[in-house]
This record gives sequence, C-alpha cells and structure tokens, in this order.
Amino acid sequence: MKPLLFFSTTLFFMIFLSGCVTSTVQQVRQTPTAMQEGDSIVVIGRRNRPSQAEAELDFIDCVGRTVGSGRDGVQVISEQAFMDAMFPWFEPRTAPLNTTDLPGLLTQPLLAERVREIGLKYLVWLEGSTKRVAQGGSLSCTITPGGGGCFGFLSWENDSSYEASIWDTHTAKTAGRISSDAAGTSYMPAIVVPIPLIARVQSSACSSLGDQLKLFVNNSS
Amino acid sequence: MTGHLNIINQDWGRHLGNVSGALTLFFCLFALSGCAGTKQLAIDTTFPIPVIEKAPVRLGIFLDDTLVNYAHKETIDQSGTWEVQIGQAQTQLFTNLATGLFESYTFVSDNTVAPPMDGVLKPSITEVQFSVPAQTRSDYYEVWVRYEFELYDRSGNVIGNWKLPAYGKASKNNYGSSSNGLQAAAIAACRDAMAFFSINFSREPAVHKWIAAGKPSQPAPVMATESPAVESDGETSTTSQEGDSA
Repeated sequence: MKPLLFFSTTLFFMIFLSGCVTSTVQQVRQTPTAMQEGDSIVVIGRRNRPSQAEAELDFIDCVGRTVGSGRDGVQVISEQAFMDAMFPWFEPRTAPLNTTDLPGLLTQPLLAERVREIGLKYLVWLEGSTKRVAQGGSLSCTITPGGGGCFGFLSWENDSSYEASIWDTHTAKTAGRISSDAAGTSYMPAIVVPIPLIARVQSSACSSLGDQLKLFVNNSS
Repeated sequence: MTGHLNIINQDWGRHLGNVSGALTLFFCLFALSGCAGTKQLAIDTTFPIPVIEKAPVRLGIFLDDTLVNYAHKETIDQSGTWEVQIGQAQTQLFTNLATGLFESYTFVSDNTVAPPMDGVLKPSITEVQFSVPAQTRSDYYEVWVRYEFELYDRSGNVIGNWKLPAYGKASKNNYGSSSNGLQAAAIAACRDAMAFFSINFSREPAVHKWIAAGKPSQPAPVMATESPAVESDGETSTTSQEGDSA
C-alpha cells in the first residue's frame, strides 16, 4: 500500500503543482481590423539576420494554434505552408522588411493571385525568445546496486519576451503591435525522488499573445 | 543549476559476467562507435516551386556528376566529422526551380542543346562551409554554399557565368540534435540559393543582354585539331549572330 501512496503523492505534485508565472500583454492599435468569411492570417518568424530574438518554431506554432482555436478562432496558415506557397518572396534574404515594401511585392501578378487564393488578410511577424535569466542550487543523485536516490534543490528563472507586428495586406499598413512578456521561477526539490515544479513561462506567453491576437484581428479589443 | 551523478559500484568485475554488465558494455561500445564515425547528413526535403514570372527562355539543364555527387566533409573539434550530402538534393532543387522560372526545360548530358531550346545552364558548387554553435558561440548552425552558374548558347559557347553565395542558418533552440540543426541549415542554404537565383536570373547582366538580343547562338567552337583555314572561318563567324527561330 505504501508504494502506491508514494506514487500517487508524487503524481499529484507533478500534475497539480507548478511554478508561478506572471505575464503582461500590451497592445498598440494603428488601424481598425476585421476578418471576413474566407480571410486567413499567417504567423511567421523574423529570420532576416542571426539574432538572439529569433522566435522559436514551437512558439510560432503554438501562437498559430491558439489563434486558430476556440469559438472565435480564425483561419491560420502554417508558417511553412505559407513560405512554400509564397516562395521565393518570404525567405530570410528576400522577405519584406517594412510594410512599404508590400505594395511593390504585390504588383507581381502571380504573387497577388496567390495571396488572393489563400485569402491572406493579416501577416503577423513574430520576434522574441525565452531565456533562462537566473539559476541556483545543487542536486546530487546516487545509484548503487541496492538502489538509488537524489537529494538537493534546484531553481531557475525563465523570461519570455515576444512582439508581434501585424501587417494588413489589403491596406499595406501596420495594423498594430502586441507584446507579450512572461517570467516565472521553476523549482526542483529532491528527497530521494526529484519533484519538478515547472513554471510554464513560454506557454503562458504563447496563450496570452495568441488570445490577444485573436481579439485584435477580430477587432474586439 | 549544478548536478552530478555518483556511481558507486564496489565489485564491477562481478557484474560483467551477468546480463546487465553485458548490456552496459554493449551500450558503451555502441556510444563510442557513434562518436568516432563520420556523421552522414542527407538533405531530405521537398523544395517549393517559385511563384515568379517566368523568364522567356527554354533551357537545357546540365547537372554533371560532380554536382549531383557533391559531398562536403569537415571535422569540427569536439563535434566529430560530418559529411553533408548536398549533391543529392540538386536534381529536385533544379527541377522545381526550372519548373517555376523557365518557359520550358529539359535535363541534358552536356553543354549543347538542339532547338527549340535556347541554351544550357550548368550549375556547380565550388565551396561549402558550415559551423556549429560551439564554434561561433552563437545559437546557430550555419551553412554557406557557393554556387557557380555557366550559361551556354545552343552550340556550347559561354554566354556568361556568375557566382551565387547562399547562406542558411538554424537555431539550436529549434532542433534537438546537431544532425537535425545542420540539416535544417543546409536546407535553408539551398532554399536561399533557389530564392536568390529565381529573383536575379533575368537581371544577371550576361543573361539580360542575351535575352534582349533574341537569345542568339553562335557557331560551335572550333576544335583544336582542325586545320588553320577552318579555324579562321570560325573566328570570323563569331562576329555574326544567329537569330532565334524557335
């Protein structure tokens, strides 16, 4: 009975306990927005130069899924599908750097036709990253023929900072910007078994940014 | 964060005789052999077809064995030896590139082609370099590929040649292993080459001039074994240009 109780307690800690995360979302609107039937958006990372603020692929994917989910979800084109459909115009070396570059790009009949085909209304450029900003503690594990165990305490703090720039492909203007910041500390105490209490910082930044982006393009905020 | 693992085993030799010892030994040997060997990287992807106005040319594409078998081998300190099989991807790359960029194309086995084709494009890779994050102290796997292109008229005369440096990078935060990171960077470099070639092909001075002149084809180059009289004819004829009838 005792091993079962121990296992259940460990599972409870792992599932229900996690580090705290504080997140902040800020939005600047420059033009009104609206989504019509058949309109879609794409969330794409800025990769025109090696940078410490290049958004992770899983974060971009997470934001896209968040924007596309729920009752008020909008149609989202995946980043890779968009880059392939628009090739070669949105590759790191050829992608437009400013909204002023869009009209020139869309004068190309084939590209303009492709944009119409996929119903692209908003282009969301993502920049930012999640970094470990502090860490401490120590943890020691021992394995012997008779068994093993760990003892110690670890902690680390992660900080996420992302910014989305929303371009309106119909007006060729920046519709607005949304920034999402999140910070949290994770802990891992270990008395025989390590119990990770993970602060889901990047996940929090993703859901905050995705939800706000959804409200933004639907003009609900 | 610090952490360490203490392995306490007072009678190691006794355990070598049993199953767990054998498995441990096998695991160690397997891991060591993995570190010591050359890591092969293939470029496994599907390249897109460019969405671009087609250049008004019908070209033969000559991918020689040197290009399609091109492999770059490099040893990096503390990371081992890598071999990137970049040539394997070139046939698919140039098929999709030509599909989107040229009016029509065909693969040829030398630098001459019959009408209605206008000429022959011969790409080659002259240099490949790559780096891993540990070398550059950055977050990126990086790959540089230097292409060289030669454009021939139907008879095999060089119309022009130009170099194209391509670059690809992949963040280590997105890829779990060095192999995946380098592969992603190599794919990015190939896409970069395709993108830059697609956009700039018609703007290359030699190509632009050739198209503007009606894609002329001069007589075939004179063979060195031919008589001086024939050679003289050949030199004279280079000043006249044959219009494109196709």
